[in-house]
Formats: sequence, C-alpha cells, structure tokens
Amino acid sequence: MRKLVSLVLTAAFAVSSCLSLAGCSSKPAETTAATTKAGETAQESKGTDAAPATGSIKVGAIYINSQNDTAGYTFAHHKGITEGMKQLGLDPSKDLYIVDNVPEDDEKVKQAIDQLAGDGCNIIFGISFGYINAMEEKAAEYPDIIFSHATGYKSNDKNFNNYFGRIYQARYLSGIAAGYKSLALKNDNIGYVSAWGVEYAETCSGINAFAMGARAVNPNAKIHVYEISTWGDQEKERQAAQVLIDTYKCCVIGQHCDSAQPQIVANEKGVFGCGYNSDMTKEAPKAHLTAAVWNWSAYYATAMKAAMTDKGSFMQSVGNYYQGLAAGLVDVSALSENCEPETAEAIKIAKDLMVSGKWDVFSGVKLFFSGKAGAVTAEQKNDALKTNKGEEKVAAGGASVGDDVIQGSMNYYVDGVTQVN
Amino acid sequence: MKKYHLVRRPVQSIRRLLVYYLIGIVISLGIGALLLASLGINPFEYYGRMLTIGMVGNKYAYKNIEGFLKVLVPLLITSLALGLSFKMRFWNIGGEGEFLIGAISAAIVAFNVTGLPRPVTILLMCVAAMLSSGLMGMAVAFFKVKFNTNETLVTLMLNYIMLYVITYLGKTKEDWNFFLDPKSARPIFGKFPETAIMDGIKIGNFNLLWSVVIAAALVALIYVYLKYTKHGYEIAVIGDSASTAKYAGMKVGRIIMRTMFISSALIGLAAGLTASASGTISETITNNVGWTGVVVAWLGKLSTPAIAITSVLIAILQFGCKTAATKYPSIDSNFADLLQGIILFSVLTADFAATFTIKKKEDAKNA
Repeated sequence: MRKLVSLVLTAAFAVSSCLSLAGCSSKPAETTAATTKAGETAQESKGTDAAPATGSIKVGAIYINSQNDTAGYTFAHHKGITEGMKQLGLDPSKDLYIVDNVPEDDEKVKQAIDQLAGDGCNIIFGISFGYINAMEEKAAEYPDIIFSHATGYKSNDKNFNNYFGRIYQARYLSGIAAGYKSLALKNDNIGYVSAWGVEYAETCSGINAFAMGARAVNPNAKIHVYEISTWGDQEKERQAAQVLIDTYKCCVIGQHCDSAQPQIVANEKGVFGCGYNSDMTKEAPKAHLTAAVWNWSAYYATAMKAAMTDKGSFMQSVGNYYQGLAAGLVDVSALSENCEPETAEAIKIAKDLMVSGKWDVFSGVKLFFSGKAGAVTAEQKNDALKTNKGEEKVAAGGASVGDDVIQGSMNYYVDGVTQVN
Repeated sequence: MKKYHLVRRPVQSIRRLLVYYLIGIVISLGIGALLLASLGINPFEYYGRMLTIGMVGNKYAYKNIEGFLKVLVPLLITSLALGLSFKMRFWNIGGEGEFLIGAISAAIVAFNVTGLPRPVTILLMCVAAMLSSGLMGMAVAFFKVKFNTNETLVTLMLNYIMLYVITYLGKTKEDWNFFLDPKSARPIFGKFPETAIMDGIKIGNFNLLWSVVIAAALVALIYVYLKYTKHGYEIAVIGDSASTAKYAGMKVGRIIMRTMFISSALIGLAAGLTASASGTISETITNNVGWTGVVVAWLGKLSTPAIAITSVLIAILQFGCKTAATKYPSIDSNFADLLQGIILFSVLTADFAATFTIKKKEDAKNA
C-alpha cells in the first residue's frame, strides 16, 4: 500500500514537472496539478502558522542510499521528509535538496554539507551514523543552519541535535504477534535475522524487545538470532532465514536488516514472519504477520516546523529527540490475516500501556497475556530483567533502564535469546 | 563477401582527435539531455549547474572550488603516477591498493606522532605513505622481474587485499585499534589530531590547501623527469622494447623496479595528502582514483600535460555531475554516475575512432 502511494506520488510528480516544463515554467509551482493535497495544506498553514518572512525554508538531506529506493532505511527517511514537508506546506520538488549515496566518509559528508549550505538550505538532515563527526564540525562552521543527525549521540546547544526513536516498543508489539503464532503452532522456536548482534545497542535492544514481546505470550519461546554482519545483503539475509528455518526449526522469522528477503523465505517455506521498516505483507502474503515500522514524518515535521518558526530556540523546542509510540514515530503495520485472533487485542493493551507511559519494555515488570480472543488480559508481574547469562540488570519491580542504555550501551541479550552463529 | 578489419591510422592528427572528442561529447550530452528532459528537468539548467560545478547561485561558491580541488589533487597525482608505469608498459592497475596502504600508513603516523609541529607531522605522514606504497609497488615489480609474474593480476589482487584491510580496521572495535574513535561505542574512524591536518594559504575566505600547490609542482617535476632526464629516457626505451634497452646496456630489471617504486610512492603521496586534508581515513578515501586514473592516463596518451588537463576535465565531470543532481529530487546520484559513464564512454569511443579506421580486407592487402 505504501509503495502504491509512493508510486502514485512519483508518477504525479513526474507528470507535474513535465507540465511545468511544457509551460516554460511561467507559473510558480503552486499551480501544478499533482500537489493538490499538499497545496491545500499549504494554504491552510499559511493562514494559521506564523511562518517567517518567506513562509518557507529549504531543506537539505544527506542519504546513505538512493533517494529513489523503494524500500529500506533511506526510503523510510525520504518518505518521512517529503511527507513532513507536505504537512507544512513545503514543496519537496522545489525546497528539498538531496545528496544521496553518501558513504560514511567525513570528506564526502563535508562536501555534501557545503553543497547544501551553498544552495541555501536552512536545515540539514543526515541519516547515517557515520556522518556524526562531519556534521559536528560543520555545525560549528555554519551557525545559521540547523544540523540534525539520526542515530548519533553528539549535539551542541545551538544548532546540532540528534534524533532517533523507540523502535524497541514497536518490536515488542511485533513480538507479541510472533508469540501467538508460536503458541498456535506449538513450536517454541522463533528466528531473528539481524544485521548485528550485541555490538550495536540498536540491534540488540530490538532483539531483546522482540523476545520479551514473544515471551509475554509464550513464556517458553526461544529466540534464535542469526547475525549477518552487514546492514543489508539480500543473499545473506536469505541464507540466514533458511538456516533458522531448516536447522533451528523456527516457525516465525523476525528481522533487522534492509530487505524483505527473510519474509520471502518464510513465505516460500510455509512459516511466518515479522518484517521491519515497511509492511512486508506484499512481499510475503502468506507469511507476514506485522512489521515494526517507522513513521519518520512525525519527527521531520516537528523539526522543520521549529526551523521555520524560531530557528534560534531549536535546541530548546526540539532538542535531542527520542520518541516512540506516543509521538507516532514508531508503530506496527496493519495486522495481516495471518495473525492469530488474539493478537490485535494483546497489541492494543501493550500499546496503550506504553503510550500512557505507565509501563515500558526494559523494566522490572513483565506483561503476561492470557485469554481467548475477545477476552485477552494482561497480567503485570514483578520480574527482574535478566540477561541470558543470568545477570540481573533491573531488579523485580524496578524502573526501566535509562534511554542512554537503550540507545547506546546495551550489549547483552535478555533471557530466552541465543545467538546461533 | 568482403571482410573488414581495423587498421591503425597511419597519421595521428591532434586536430582529428579533438574534433572526434567534440563529436563524442556532443552526442553524449545529447543523450543525457533526452534523459533529463524525459525526467522533467531542463537540460540546459542541469548542464549549466554541472559545468560550473554548482557555483551559480551558491552562497558559498568558494567552497565548491575547495571541494573540487580536493577531488582533483588525488586524481591528478595518481594519473600521473600510473602514466609513469604505463609508459614502461608495466600494467600497474593497483592504484587503489597503493593509495589505501599509503592512507593507512599516513594514519598510523597521524594517530601516534603527537607534539611535533604541523609541517613536520604532515611530512612524516607523507614519507610513511610514500615508503609503504612504494615498497608495495616495488615488490610487485620484483616478482615481475624475478619470476615473470603477471603484474596486472598481482596489482589487481592487492587492491582487494588493501580494501579489506582498511575495512577490517574500520569495523573492529578492539583496544589495540587506535584508528577508531575511542569515544564512540560504534566503530568509526577517529579524527586526526590538529597537527596532522593540513592547512593552506588563506585567500579571503578561500583556503588553498598546500596539497594543491604540491600537486601543481609535481606536474612540472614529472614533466621534466620524463622529458629531460636519463631516467625518463630509459623508461621510454623500455616501453618501446625491453630487448633494445637490454642491448643498449640498460639494467632493465633495476629500472623497472625503480620506476615502479616512484610510481607507487607518488600514489602514496597522493594518499598521504588526501588523508591529511580530510583529517581522517575511510574505506572510500580513494574516491576510485586508482581506477579513474587508468582512464585518465590513457585519455591523456601518457603525456604529462595532457594527463593534467584530462584529470581537470574528469574531476569537473565527477564533481559537477554530483552537485548538479543535488537540486533535483527526481534524480539521484546514480543518474549522475550514469551520465558520467555515457560521456566517458563516448569520449573513449571517439578516441578509438580517431586512432583506428575500418578498412576492407582487400584494400589492406593491396596496400
């Protein structure tokens, strides 16, 4: 569905830009056909928002992969930026400057930033971790431009922030779907194809949350993690999923890697799976349950709005941004028909708890779901957060580990997780 | 049925070459224009942005010149260096590997030598880079001279070895790994200390890096070396015929090893300067100059001034294509690469057509 929307949008843009070319671009872009919806919001926001003099900003973006990707990490960010811009009445075909396929190489990132700065961008987003040092350096060089860096940990107090999201919350929810499936199939083995293991807090917190979600439904569930040691390699992703299914008899395949290959393999082999980044039901119609997804526009709209209204107070109004289900930054995709009947209710209960802030994943309180569809209940039990080696991280009943742990220093698997390679 | 075959044109005229180049470029730009127009982009605007390396309407146009020069310097030095070995008919396609080992050596110095003044530190970095690259190149030449190994294969394989060495260094978070940023939980190459980062001559806002000055001086030096010294003459003779050189009493093996050392050491110098200008290293630090340099050296017909001009043009093409693409959300950098490829391909075809001609078999026999 998302792909369809993006396809239609791309086609519409192509048509509109052709039109404007044919019309010798005598009229400004606000009259182009395709942006009707965006155009409406543009007028609305012009009426309501106290926008700065011109009412618009130029947005710069530095991508690790191609802006024309149709799935994966860069795609999710690009979609978030363009959607965020439309919400604010900005026209991505005019106000968005992109340097893409930029490797994590300081020199190349700096050149990209210089180019975007020269083109007059007011806010520059860099989406890959390795851009961190170049962005820090250039933030000092261009104090008038806001630099916003995803997945990093550096910032300053004026024009440089970092942002990321509590994707582990969405992972927990997809884990619930996996847990119900394993209960129904009477198979406790759940697989997980992961780019990295405990080396990165990003991957290991995701694995842990997924495992805890699954074990909240099926306390006997075992999560087998296969690490492929790269963020994306379709062949390795395939092989990993095959090993997990054939050798470890896994009945559900979760994933933290770029492509939909693990889901496709699950589909071929007649097992089930939970995707990542986008709804992969299209790729694996018979296997896919639900995917942990990002909705980056929630952040991008916030950041760009702050840059439009009062640049000087950006670090006060937005600051270092780390939001989750509550802000709509992360979520699970629509549950497919493959899900067990209890899944939706259980996910709703857990989601409400996290949105309200009453409970979070990595705390000393665990949820246990029981009951048939229509009468699913969640029991909260005080239970220590333990690593798979038995080390206690949070005492029973204790508060959640700090955000710094989830984002940066988590380097252990929780109970029930084993890495197979 | 008449048969056709390719014959080298008896007279090589510069004018014909330039006319053919022009035709090739016009055709490729035409194809590019069609593609651009089909994507809804005004080709003239795009080409304007490309050929001015994105400086028009740019708030910080001087930054683009700085960036362009940073792309140019390593390409220029590497192409000249490769030209040196090609002149000897030594097919050194190991520019990438020689560049990488140089960059790694420079980084070893940068991360470990502290407290010395900046020029000394950078000099040490360059010397380390030149020695390591030079020795690697000389080792290949040694095996060629001693055991008649195939230098194309050896240098090619060394490229991948060095690429995996630097990738390993960049991804391995261990206590011994001083290449990495100690403050980052994730592995990421660290930044050099201030004294290892190159500065330059300030002209207003514009910062003319010393590496540019050095590269310009190198062009002159290499020109003189090849044209007016005994070494240069020896290289030319070996390139024409190794047996002749031997007959003339030249120590062919020694000359090959010496020239490969100089050629690789120059690439090492390019790497040292690039690392110092970037203030860090990365897997992509070569910017593919080891490969592009081969094309540049051949397009420049192994002549020093022509290589210098060609590398400027190729750098404009590379830098310009990338910056031009920035402004248009409908095209990505892959399109920039595609366009670059079309243009290069046409120029190489033009070069081929200017050098060779198709003749009927019978004509050839009669002639």
